[in-house]
Amino acid sequence: MRLLPELPKADFDRYIEEMKKDVDRTLIRENLKLTVEERLVALMALQEFAEELRRAGRAAFGP
Amino acid sequence: MTDFPGLLQALQREHVSFIVIGGAAATAHGSPRLTLDLDVVYDRHPENVEPLVSALRPFKPTLRDAPEGLPFVWDERTIRSGLNFTLSTSLGALDLLGEVAGGGRYEDLVKETETIRVFGVDCLCVNLEALIRLKRAAGRRKDLEAIAELEVIREERDKTELR
Repeated sequence: MRLLPELPKADFDRYIEEMKKDVDRTLIRENLKLTVEERLVALMALQEFAEELRRAGRAAFGP
Repeated sequence: MTDFPGLLQALQREHVSFIVIGGAAATAHGSPRLTLDLDVVYDRHPENVEPLVSALRPFKPTLRDAPEGLPFVWDERTIRSGLNFTLSTSLGALDLLGEVAGGGRYEDLVKETETIRVFGVDCLCVNLEALIRLKRAAGRRKDLEAIAELEVIREERDKTELR
C-alpha cells in the first residue's frame, strides 16, 4: 500500500519531522552502544518474547 | 522466530551475492524496532541464481500468503520467471527481492552498502542513507515511524562522531 502518492514531498517530510519528536532517543543511544551482532541477537530475543506473548494471549483470550 | 544466523550462513555457504535491507538492516544500524523477516536484494545474474536455489532448498521455501495447494517449485526457472518472492522457510520468513523501489537491482544498490560481520558471516548491508531512501521510496504508511527513527539514528550517530 502506497501512502498518499500525490502528497507533496514537503508534507511527507513534515510528517516525518513531527514523528521524530516521539522517537525514544534513549533506546536509540543504548542500541548504538551495541555491536551489530548484539543488535540482531536482541531482535531475535524480542521476536521470541513477542511469540510467547501471542501464545499466552491465545491461551488466555482464545484465537 | 527468524533464524537470522541460519539464513545468513546458508546464503554464505553457497556464496550467494545479496544485500541485507529492510528491518534487519535497520536493526543493524541501531533501530530497536521489531521485524519478523529478513529482506534481501539478490543478484539476478544466472551465476548467482543457481547457488541461491541450492542455498535455500534444504529449508523448503514456499510462497507466503499463497492459496493453499498452489503449486510452487523452488528452482532456477521459478527465480528467472519471477522477480520478488516473499517466502516462508523452515528458518523463518525471507523476502527475496530482485529489485527494490528507490534502490534498483543488486548491481545498483551494491555501491551503497557496508560489509558487516555477523554470526561469523561477512555480508553486505545497505548503508543508512540508502536505507532511508528505500523506505521513503516505498511510501508505506507503516514505514513513516521507521523513517523517523532512522533519521534520529543518523542524527545521534552524527552527534557521537562530532564528540
